[in-house]
Amino acid sequence: MTRQPKDLNGTLMMSRRGILLGGATLFAGSIAASLCPTLALAAVDAGTQGQFMKLSNLLIQHQLNPAVGARIVDMASGEYKNLAQMLDAIIAIAEKKNAAQVEDFFADIPDGELKDFAHWVISAWYSGCSSEKRNAAVFTYEEALTFRTTSDVVTIPSYGLSGPNLWTRPNVPLSAPMPRF
Amino acid sequence: MVTKNSADVVIVGTGVVGVVIAEQLLDAGHSVLMIEAGPRVTRAEVVENWRNAPLGVKGDTSVAYPSRPWAPHPMGNEKPEDAYLQLSGPDSYAQTFIRYAGGSTWHWAGTSWRLTPEDMRLKSLYGVGRDWAIDYDTLESYYVRTENKLGICGPSDRGLQWPQTGARSAPYPMPALPFSPGETRFTEIAKSLGYNNIPVAQARNSGMPYDGRPACCGNNNCVPVCPVAAKYDAETALHRLEKKGATLLVDSVVYKVETNAQNKIEAVSYYDQHKESHRITGKLFVLACNGLENPKLLLMSKDDRNPNGVANSSDQVGRNMMDHPQLTLTVTTKEPFWSGVGPVVNSGIMETSQGSFRSEHAGAYFRYNNFARNRFVTFAALKKGLVGKALDEEIRRMTACTADVVAAHEVLPDPNNRLTLSDKTDWLGLPKPHIHYDVGEYTRRSAEVYSLPIGKRIAEAMGATDVKISPKFNQSKHIMGGTIMGNEASNSVVDVDCRSHDHENLFIPGGGAMASTACGNSTITMVALAIKSADAIVEQMRGA
Amino acid sequence: MNMKMIKSFAFAAPLVFAALVPAMASAQEFSKELVEKGRYLATASDCVACHTNHADGKPMAGGLPMSSPVGTIMSTNITPSKEFGIGNYTQAQFSDAVRKGVRGDGSNLYPAMPYVSYSVMTDEDIHALYAYFMQGVDPVDEKAPETKLPFPMNIRASIMGWNLLFRPNEVHVDDPSQSAEWNRGKYLAEGAGHCSTCHTPRGAFMQEQKSLNLTGGQVGAWYAPDITNDKVHGIGSWSQQDFVTYLKTGKLENKAQAAGSMAEAISYSFQHLTDGDLNAIVTYVRSVPSANASPASGATRFDNGKAGNDMAAFRGKEYAESLAGNHAGAQIFTANCASCHGYNAQGTRDGYYPSLFHNAATAGDNSINVISAILNGVDRHTDAGHVFMPPFGDQTNAVVQLNNVEVASLSNYLLAQYGNEKLKVTPEDVQVIREGGPKSNIVQLARIGMGAGAAVVVFLLAGLIWYRARRKTLPVPSV
Repeated sequence: MTRQPKDLNGTLMMSRRGILLGGATLFAGSIAASLCPTLALAAVDAGTQGQFMKLSNLLIQHQLNPAVGARIVDMASGEYKNLAQMLDAIIAIAEKKNAAQVEDFFADIPDGELKDFAHWVISAWYSGCSSEKRNAAVFTYEEALTFRTTSDVVTIPSYGLSGPNLWTRPNVPLSAPMPRF
Repeated sequence: MVTKNSADVVIVGTGVVGVVIAEQLLDAGHSVLMIEAGPRVTRAEVVENWRNAPLGVKGDTSVAYPSRPWAPHPMGNEKPEDAYLQLSGPDSYAQTFIRYAGGSTWHWAGTSWRLTPEDMRLKSLYGVGRDWAIDYDTLESYYVRTENKLGICGPSDRGLQWPQTGARSAPYPMPALPFSPGETRFTEIAKSLGYNNIPVAQARNSGMPYDGRPACCGNNNCVPVCPVAAKYDAETALHRLEKKGATLLVDSVVYKVETNAQNKIEAVSYYDQHKESHRITGKLFVLACNGLENPKLLLMSKDDRNPNGVANSSDQVGRNMMDHPQLTLTVTTKEPFWSGVGPVVNSGIMETSQGSFRSEHAGAYFRYNNFARNRFVTFAALKKGLVGKALDEEIRRMTACTADVVAAHEVLPDPNNRLTLSDKTDWLGLPKPHIHYDVGEYTRRSAEVYSLPIGKRIAEAMGATDVKISPKFNQSKHIMGGTIMGNEASNSVVDVDCRSHDHENLFIPGGGAMASTACGNSTITMVALAIKSADAIVEQMRGA
Repeated sequence: MNMKMIKSFAFAAPLVFAALVPAMASAQEFSKELVEKGRYLATASDCVACHTNHADGKPMAGGLPMSSPVGTIMSTNITPSKEFGIGNYTQAQFSDAVRKGVRGDGSNLYPAMPYVSYSVMTDEDIHALYAYFMQGVDPVDEKAPETKLPFPMNIRASIMGWNLLFRPNEVHVDDPSQSAEWNRGKYLAEGAGHCSTCHTPRGAFMQEQKSLNLTGGQVGAWYAPDITNDKVHGIGSWSQQDFVTYLKTGKLENKAQAAGSMAEAISYSFQHLTDGDLNAIVTYVRSVPSANASPASGATRFDNGKAGNDMAAFRGKEYAESLAGNHAGAQIFTANCASCHGYNAQGTRDGYYPSLFHNAATAGDNSINVISAILNGVDRHTDAGHVFMPPFGDQTNAVVQLNNVEVASLSNYLLAQYGNEKLKVTPEDVQVIREGGPKSNIVQLARIGMGAGAAVVVFLLAGLIWYRARRKTLPVPSV
């Protein structure tokens, strides 16, 4: 044998061995992350999902992908026992202020659990992960909002920027407008 | 005739050194069997492994390359006591490399600085280190062949080429890649201080396809993997080698090099992933498993005729372990630089690696890292507690207005910087490598009186409002010296063709043979030495 | 190859130029202008595309393997080498080869050579072409590999019967009711440009079905689409300038890009033609009506699909698990295609790497070009540079070697998400394209003894599907 057998008409190419080993050797966090959504999908009802997206849209005035939101709320439902109440509480604070944007109400969220959760939600959307740590759950890479803030200049690493050698561009000043996203 | 048990030439390792030699031997009509400790994976899988990793650990290349139990390699999540590399000494030799088919060029940046003539004569010119047993002019034609084989792009303007002191007999096969805004600005700033920041010669397809691989489209992901194979890595050659007739065994860990009564190499033995042993015979053997695994394997293979280990009558196997110790200056600037447009390393100041000061201290090469900065700054911005527009603006500002300037130093060969076999064993029961390492006064002094002062001046000229300097030397993953080259069998391991002094049919090409590090990345020199070896092997096989 | 002249055949063909041309080519001295005119016509005829082995061969020296439903045919050496090329051809012999498909030795060429199209070329242009091939091409004294087809394909004589039926033998005559530009365009498009060779479907005898002129046909591993003025299925939605841009660059942003044989036609031929001639060709082709009685309505094959991704289904999970799961197609797309085409398949902002929606490759009336682009990549040389998408078949330079199940899975994702969602691809479909397009069982039928009539059909099939269906086929299984 010179390589893993390649059956052109075979099943999707990933040997059973590869699957097992990949699972065994990658850090445990990603395994947890990979199991989490399927379990959580059942756990998070449509109402909670809707509330989560509502809150997310109050905290972040950008286009948010509901499919990514579903991944985040799946994780949140496992991490925060009183998720539904927290969502309701923060939304209520925003509504009380007739908030059109996060700046209108964020200061009114009391420090502690609620504010920490609000920051976590923002962090999840911007970083695409549950934390900075090695064992963080990953909700998205490509749609992490951090890349949107710089999309007029830099690429999302691993994705091409332009045609070959056509990426020369001026040094965009900080005064340039923020990309719309 | 090649079988699963025998071939004309048996090559241990499928990295760039083994692959380049294999192809030349196949083209010359010899049968080749290659043995790889690790798995063979697709580029698709590696790319997605990396994308699936959390943002906070994307700087750790190992997330894209989980090691297999039988072929451990350094992983970012290891505890020191469980680590594959057992380390001691004042400095850390915590290199990363990959035991995968295709080897560590999977995650190299592609940077291809040639050595200078002076880099190869440190003892004669500066009274330090060792002179090479060959000179630059000897190496030059092999550099040209390397540049064409790997597809190395570079400037056609002689004034922008490296080295300035050595001749260049042929142009680069492709033009230099364009600079990012940050690199352009950095170049202007360096110029204002009297330094030339020149385009990196790099194994990346510039503006055109080359060797059947596509052109670079600025994915900014050379490290840890080029997702489109615009960068040369040895994986891109494996299928071609197979079509040329090579046999490739993967998940097969060579643990013993066997000598015969004439003290020639008779066979190598490997464990498969089920811990079963197999024996491979051949006429000639090439060890190409990198500068750390090669000495480990030689030491593991000691026998009655070779009590210090195979190829080790000089006692130099595993000694003189070298790297390019690097210090990073993370600079925050007032005005934007914008890294992350184009390849991750695209320029460098090389002239600071040269000079009469080398009798006193090491030189250094400065590079402006061109990684997109989002992943380095996002969590820091989030931790500031900002929301809304302020958060967007802070992430954007920190991405644009931070930069890493890296000073990569040379080190001298020191026999006390030594790889030995640890008492600790790996999954197969094989000893883990233990490395004792001290970068040495020569390099430390450079940081004190030379490189950091220059770095700080550069940072100041960049308009730095804040500069963070790495507290200790980091590793460049350029493993050199452990099977050092020389004319004297008494104090070196291999001859000028990377042939073992002790065993006429054993070649140990690659970084281990390098007698000096200089400051530039080692791969191009490793491959030049490999091609020189391949010429010698073809010649030797003709006589066989 | 035996280049010996057989007199009876030479006389059987009318010697149009007998009065003008001395018996032996070697005596010729042609003017520089005439040679240059011939060079231009040879470019317009795209001779070099087939008569050169682009891997390592010399121009016009032949040796390009072309796959066909009945075997591999090798292109011939058409340099003026006296021993190995056409250096001994008289102009009459040359004319017969180009316009009648009759070789210098009197035997018939396989219709892989598009002499059916070239037959409309004027005597004057044939004269210029002859001048160019005798004087403007460097002789290459190398024998091109011979074509070896299985019995009964190796009997060239039976092509004569087909020629009697389907070779027009009519030189172009201007239509006085049309403009000079239109007539020039028709002459080039139907003659040198031989558009219909690929873009017109074949009938029962493998002849071009003139009633379905330019409505699309399979060409080896690729599909040459409908280029009539039908707004939905054809290119009726393109402006004159769109079409000219496409012929010059092989690309029309957010619409289409040339791959396979069309990429070669752009690389070697169209981009080198004058603006006047390109406009003439476009003017004519834009006048070719759809075969449909009434024009179709609805979305064109250039504006289907939209940006989007399916990554929330697998990001952060194990690659192996995603590859085995319900979103395998999306995972394969992200891992292999998105690095250049974007994770929403939106292409790069500068348009260099095309979006995969609003793209004829994914939104066509069949899935052939989706599969073929994945397996074979794209390779096109234009003034703007060398456009290259690596292949994902079994080639040595495939970035990743995708198997049939993976290609089918990926194709279905691309079609559903970005293109013609009505289409479905099976692994068997992929295998057919991997092998260079549909194979014919006609060899078997002929051998069984269907008689002379069947043998004729055999040859038609052989030649006509051969054309341009070359190389990049029959992948060597990995070992």
